[in-house]
Amino acid sequence: MNKIMYLEFERCIGCRSCQAACRECGDHEYKERNYVEYVDFMESRQTYPMLCMQCKDPACARVCPANAIQITEEGVVLSAMEEKCIGCRNCTFGCPFGIPKFDFEANKMYKCDMCYDRTKHDIAPMCASVCPSEAIRFIDFEEMQALRRRRTQMNLVEGKKPKEGNKWDYVPEFFGVYSD
Amino acid sequence: MTQQFVTKEWVKNLHKPGEKLITTHCCYCGMQCGMHLRVEEKTGKVVGVEPRYDWPVTNGKMCPKGVTAYQTVEHKERILRPLIKKNGKFVESSWEEALDLIAEKFQGLQQQYGKDAVSVFGGVSMTNEKCYLVGKYARAVLGTRFIDYNGRFCMSSAAGGFLKTLGTDRGSTLPWPELEHTDCFFIAGSNTAECHPTSIQWLWKAKDKGAKMIVADPRETPTARIADVHLDLKPGTDSALANGIMHILIKEGYVDEDYVANRCNNYEELKVAVEKFTPEYTAKITGIEVGKIIKAAHIYGRSPRSVMMFARGAEQQSKGVDNVSLYTSMALLRGQIGKFASGVATFTGQANGQGGREHGQKSDLLPGYRKITDPEAVKYISELWGMDPSDMPKPGVSAFELFDEIHAGNIRAMHVMCSNPAVSAPDTEYVWSAFRKLDFMVVSDFFLSETAEFADVILPAATWAEDDGTTTNLEGRVIRIRKVREPLGESLPDWGIMQAIAKRLGKGQFFPYQEAREIFEEFRVATKGGKADYYGITWERIDKEDGVFWPCPSEDHPGTPTMFKEKFGTPDGKANLAAVTWKEPGETPTKDYPHILTTGRVVFHYLSGSQTRRTEFLMEQCPLPYAEIHPELASQYNLRTGDQVKLTTPRSHMTLEVRLTKAIRNDTVFVPYHWGKELAVNQLTNPCLDPTSRMPEFKVCAVKIEKV
Repeated sequence: MNKIMYLEFERCIGCRSCQAACRECGDHEYKERNYVEYVDFMESRQTYPMLCMQCKDPACARVCPANAIQITEEGVVLSAMEEKCIGCRNCTFGCPFGIPKFDFEANKMYKCDMCYDRTKHDIAPMCASVCPSEAIRFIDFEEMQALRRRRTQMNLVEGKKPKEGNKWDYVPEFFGVYSD
Repeated sequence: MTQQFVTKEWVKNLHKPGEKLITTHCCYCGMQCGMHLRVEEKTGKVVGVEPRYDWPVTNGKMCPKGVTAYQTVEHKERILRPLIKKNGKFVESSWEEALDLIAEKFQGLQQQYGKDAVSVFGGVSMTNEKCYLVGKYARAVLGTRFIDYNGRFCMSSAAGGFLKTLGTDRGSTLPWPELEHTDCFFIAGSNTAECHPTSIQWLWKAKDKGAKMIVADPRETPTARIADVHLDLKPGTDSALANGIMHILIKEGYVDEDYVANRCNNYEELKVAVEKFTPEYTAKITGIEVGKIIKAAHIYGRSPRSVMMFARGAEQQSKGVDNVSLYTSMALLRGQIGKFASGVATFTGQANGQGGREHGQKSDLLPGYRKITDPEAVKYISELWGMDPSDMPKPGVSAFELFDEIHAGNIRAMHVMCSNPAVSAPDTEYVWSAFRKLDFMVVSDFFLSETAEFADVILPAATWAEDDGTTTNLEGRVIRIRKVREPLGESLPDWGIMQAIAKRLGKGQFFPYQEAREIFEEFRVATKGGKADYYGITWERIDKEDGVFWPCPSEDHPGTPTMFKEKFGTPDGKANLAAVTWKEPGETPTKDYPHILTTGRVVFHYLSGSQTRRTEFLMEQCPLPYAEIHPELASQYNLRTGDQVKLTTPRSHMTLEVRLTKAIRNDTVFVPYHWGKELAVNQLTNPCLDPTSRMPEFKVCAVKIEKV
């Protein structure tokens, strides 16, 4: 896998297409593994997508007593392995982003696996494929760096910089997640 | 697991073993996003969706409705056999019994009350082939003048405005991928991000290059949120805003004088009309700050390439045609129509909102945008259909007026196809009582919609995935919908249903088709020489060229992606600038009804919600309608988020949950309209019609708020 997931929060339109598409992914059993939140509905329509960060040293895997959370050679952090998961829910408490969820019926944890069946062939995950505003993208590392640079420049050109008084009008505008 | 890929140039799709991918388009809005449906080879069942990365308009993007659209095909609530109402309950019957009953009733009523006693209410979620046949079915088979369609609630003001100013009604004068190179978007009355989400990628692509966005909307929608200037106008004041902007364009020398002199009429009249719309006067009417109006005009005036876009917010008003004409005139003043990456565009709400309105479902139109009052057109179409020109019915009335005709006793039976007016028409209680008054009512649908519940006979229609055909997307690009599986149960495609009724009425000669393709061949000829000329478009060309833009008069014609490059569709080839002043909406706030109610969509639902309310994911996201209210307004009534509120208009009242947000004007309440019966906000809306387009005023009415 040569590509990375790139999130640009400001673009999110809150359509939750990514969630609908996540349910469509091969073995997700019609449960979404990513989330969309409002920053503050009272103030604005700003939403942001929340995906698994695929951490290099994932807290969910570190706190798993059964070693049920595997990391692929490409760096993708997978869902708990069914035969190993003991249902202790440590991972759901350990993750700082609130990504792993617990399926009480199947008694196991499920989380985003970056559509591993797609991404290992360099096909975009379902969420990034469908995202209508390109708030979630599956792109080359170089493209991500160029995008970040350009976005920073544009913000400077437009004089966009949060001040103390209006800092809540702004959410982080980009966020790169990658595995190398 | 072995993997296979469908490859077109650089594009890879995941292709699972035991499944085939069938290339088609979404069934919902006018974007018509490209998609592949995943079909199990063994069972033929539709099991999922795969993005279509090589479709140039949407690049694989889909909204949540598109992602879940396939779920309606195999849905357990599908109507699979004809149903006849016996003692107030629907009972399954055979096709024979249902058709016998329809023939007996239709013929009986027509003998007793004349041909016009039977009416047809069409819809534009159908393919071009089917929309074309609805007109033929009404006029050649039933011989009635009472035919109209649900596009009156959606597109007709845009059509009226375009015809008035540009002479031809094509929703967009430019192809969508060109939007990437635009410098400025002026979006009026469109919540693009929620209603046409896959368009947003083009706006962002342009924005990344430095394009500016101006959004006129009473709410700070997800679209308005990313605008450089958000013009938070009072609902119903679009024409004042457009006049105000044009006033500044003229005063400050932003008008493309050469373009206007060579290609437009009426400039002097326009100058006079906008004279009084100074920024201050405009601000007084619209409620927008003066500075914002001036800033917007400067941005629009200084942009070398701009696109003027609008949608239902500006159109669903009793002055909708004026609004569209004025916004179009704004683009004309800047000389923006007929150039690369610039122009005007309206966002089509329904799947085939463009194609469906050109081919004879409107009460006054014949296929190819021919006027039914034009004897030449009547002669041409009658000859093609094999009927006597003198048998061609006269023009009828518009969709909402059909209900007046029912109340007046002139219409005794109705066949509703692919439409749900019991939810989508304004003042729904009036519509419901009209349905109850009918002697006989037939509905073709694949779900038991709110309208179908009034019917005497329901005929099971096939879904979009069960038939071939073409649609015309919001750009004017004619594209192909593919049959993915055989119709479920005993359902038939709409053309098959009309064919069966025609045969039973002894008019089978008008419907000699074996498959959808034969209809398309006849339809091409029917449109030949008309304004919306599809003659040069073939299914092979559509596949090869990623869709073909009409007008396309011959097979060697490349199609027309950019409209009006040299001349406009008017008789003298010049555009007519609109010189109209602002007029009050049909209903304004009073002491009894002190606030404004406006309606709209949410991203999770489509039109009357008949399909999306049956889709699990979409219902989970938005199960019920709600009332969006500004905290300042809410504080007058001591309301908080989650409280119940009673909204009352001169027509009716309903109770809704409150959601407080600062992202709306503090004199306006917003309610989404996708629910039926007691949850239908259209119980409250005003059926005041636009004088030209006969579009009801869904977007503005006066309302009273009470805490429950």
